[in-house]
Amino acid sequence: MVNLVQNEMTKLVGKRRFVIISIIIIALLSMFSYAQVKQAESIKERLGTVDWRTELQQQIVDMQNRLSSAGQWREQIQIQIKQSQYYLDHDVNPAEPGAPTFMRGFVQNSAELFLPLLIMIIAVDLVSSERSMGTIKLLLTRPVSRFRILLSKYIALILSVSLVIFLFGILSYIISVIMFGNQGWSAPVLTGFSTQGDTLDISAVRLVSQWQYIIQQFGLAWFISIVVGTLSFMLSILMRSSAAGMGTMLACLIAGAILSNMVSSWDSAKYLFMVNLGLMDYVSGSAPPIEGMTLGFSLAVLAAWMLGSLIVSFTVFTRKDVY
Amino acid sequence: MSDITLSVQGLRKVIGKRTIIKDLSFELKRGEVFGFLGPNGAGKTTTIRMLVGLIKPTSGTIQICGLDIAKNFTRAMRHLGCIVENPELYPFLTGMENLRHFAVMISGITQARIDEVVQLVGMQERMNDKVSTYSLGMRQRLGIAQALLGKPDVLILDEPTNGLDPSGIREMRAFIRFLAEEEGLTVLVSSHLLHEIQLMCDRVAIISKGEIIRVDSVQQLLSSEERLVWRLLPHELGRAVLSEQTTVLDETEETVTTTYAELLVGEWNRKLVDAGVSVLEMNRKLPALEDLFLELTGGESIG
Amino acid sequence: MHSKKVRWITGFAAFTCLLWVFGLGWAVKDYLIGTTSTATAPSVSEQPIAAVEQVKIVALGDSLTRGTGDIEGKGYVGYIGDMLKQKGTDISLINLGIKGLTSPGLAEQMQEKEIGRQIGQANVILMTIGGNDLFLGGQTLSDVSEASITGLEDAFLINLKAIMTSIRSVNKDATVYLLGLYNPFSEFENGALLSEVVRGWNYKTAEQLAEDPGTVFVPTYDLFQKNVNDYLFTDHFHPNEKGYQLMAERVAALITGVGGQS
Repeated sequence: MVNLVQNEMTKLVGKRRFVIISIIIIALLSMFSYAQVKQAESIKERLGTVDWRTELQQQIVDMQNRLSSAGQWREQIQIQIKQSQYYLDHDVNPAEPGAPTFMRGFVQNSAELFLPLLIMIIAVDLVSSERSMGTIKLLLTRPVSRFRILLSKYIALILSVSLVIFLFGILSYIISVIMFGNQGWSAPVLTGFSTQGDTLDISAVRLVSQWQYIIQQFGLAWFISIVVGTLSFMLSILMRSSAAGMGTMLACLIAGAILSNMVSSWDSAKYLFMVNLGLMDYVSGSAPPIEGMTLGFSLAVLAAWMLGSLIVSFTVFTRKDVY
Repeated sequence: MSDITLSVQGLRKVIGKRTIIKDLSFELKRGEVFGFLGPNGAGKTTTIRMLVGLIKPTSGTIQICGLDIAKNFTRAMRHLGCIVENPELYPFLTGMENLRHFAVMISGITQARIDEVVQLVGMQERMNDKVSTYSLGMRQRLGIAQALLGKPDVLILDEPTNGLDPSGIREMRAFIRFLAEEEGLTVLVSSHLLHEIQLMCDRVAIISKGEIIRVDSVQQLLSSEERLVWRLLPHELGRAVLSEQTTVLDETEETVTTTYAELLVGEWNRKLVDAGVSVLEMNRKLPALEDLFLELTGGESIG
Repeated sequence: MHSKKVRWITGFAAFTCLLWVFGLGWAVKDYLIGTTSTATAPSVSEQPIAAVEQVKIVALGDSLTRGTGDIEGKGYVGYIGDMLKQKGTDISLINLGIKGLTSPGLAEQMQEKEIGRQIGQANVILMTIGGNDLFLGGQTLSDVSEASITGLEDAFLINLKAIMTSIRSVNKDATVYLLGLYNPFSEFENGALLSEVVRGWNYKTAEQLAEDPGTVFVPTYDLFQKNVNDYLFTDHFHPNEKGYQLMAERVAALITGVGGQS
């Protein structure tokens, strides 16, 4: 089995998948961090100060001003205001300048769309590329059962996802150290906010260290990526071309991003996988897209989808005729 | 172990309502090259894919060295090497990486065996180049190397000379004969070209519309269908003399085509000379696949 | 059989896999099962480096402070900032105005710790308040009665006093500029009556502020007295950019006078 997995890794390395992904990450990271530097500069220019308290207070006031015309966003904004106020009251900077804060923000913003996209680059043609190259005929006529062949591919997928997340982490660390410096590790992060309707429950709020928070966030990002990877993997088996699989998965992800913003009245949408990808939001304490959704609920829904697509994948792959 | 290496019994494949393959049965012996002859679309490729386990038969059994591939897939496949259609390899890996990739999927293959196989197909020079830089002939050879890795008893090659240049085709033929005669492999070769099968195979199965029409030794098959083309002077008289001796199958303004019978041809020739007909030309002609088909299927066209 | 590179990558990937499984497990444990541990004590908040020769302006109040009606979104506060910067004064400008804020709202806002800190650091405090108390979003326009106005006035003055007390409790030196009310409805049916009410309101406000020598009452009534529609936004209530410019010029002139002493 180890040999089969290494076979798959050889092919991924041979196709330069990890190099391509690293380049994409670096390109995007540079843009992100540059934008962040610019933003910091413009805030300094506007407020004439770099004191985070002043900036945060200004943000609170800005949000308060938006409240009256916020419409359906009202609850979200109210929660955000209360959360920011809590940070202020406890003298904790939610955006302590430096590498860890940037990493936190980057992984949180990327977990729902950008990271899954990177994963799709690998997952979506694990099987369909073998088919389009014709090599599947060689692969399936070895004295190895189809189940083991697919299992080796899936394990290779999990390993690649882990590696991509690691690349993502290390690259964002390196670039943010260059751009912002390596300070800010000692600053604590406030976490444990939970929302009940439009009220913010602060009973479980506690302080954690930056690295603990980052490891946990990356763990969640990893899980999201594994789920998206498993679904893409299934599409890779069901669909003949990688492009079709990629398109379908992309449509789902984008639909998820849109739906998350507008499904608050469609209750059963919470069983769709794409609405549940915002695991990070539970940790940072913003209101879920549909009332009643919790971290545990979302994890369970995602795990169910993952299990379902694995069953479909293995059933189809071991039975399908190859022409 | 018996002498039968590949045995197919009552093989059928139904897709939807169409029966693609109808009750194929045949057996292959150790050390023989078996041809699978038929026009495109006759079911050759589908049959081969069932033999190597890519497609599941609707009914029927396939045994490789006595092991049923439906029940004992991995052990049966241990005795089989194959190239289905083109030898598709990973273009982004080197030749050696490709071979290693397939070698680790078979237990007990050492680097020494890989080198041995590479030597066998004469690819030592280019093993560290990417496959994407190979010519079709080289890919074909690498494909065969990959098929031979596991020291198979049965080698299945689908259209092995497809796309090769004349010298490549000659080389391939010699190599296949070598494998069968020296290494004792059973080789199953498919083709839509009769003369190719004729040059390589010991036995041949003719397949059309999913059925085997005839299984016979190449010698037998050809001799019964061979023709003799005569060019005679005077034409009319010669034709008359020949029609007394044998059947005239075809006639043009210049030539007369009759059946061929090795032992009788001398006699016919003497009769012609005696009658004062000079034999300008006498040609043995192999039937075209098309003719053979018309013959065997009784007018069913090749398409 | 595989190349060293691939074996290394595979092994490393397996290690990262374990790392993320650990991270996920930790997150699940912390957020799902709950934890009581508080990992670190809050860091000691470092005081920001005191800005040298910087005039710190904090603006408090309602939509006028916010700048509602100004196409450029600056409001009088923004224009004051621009004017001071042009004159070469190094300033920092914090706008804490909230649309629709009334005097009880402002008094409540003053209790927030961070607002107190901001005010504590300020050299100049700008304020507009009372407009929403009086006009109640236009309601007063249709029903002007002596009794109701007096009730509103009394409540406002009490709140204003509380606000001033709050300011002075954290900052004794800053100059507070309170901008007075104008009458946006002067050209309406009972405009004249309302104008009288506004004048009275401004007078009492000014009187109240006079108790504190560090405060300046800046009248705006006169600015909008003539051609009121030229200076009002399309909602006939908030000033437009021209109106804000006028207000800003007046206040800026006063600040430059005071600014030197910082």
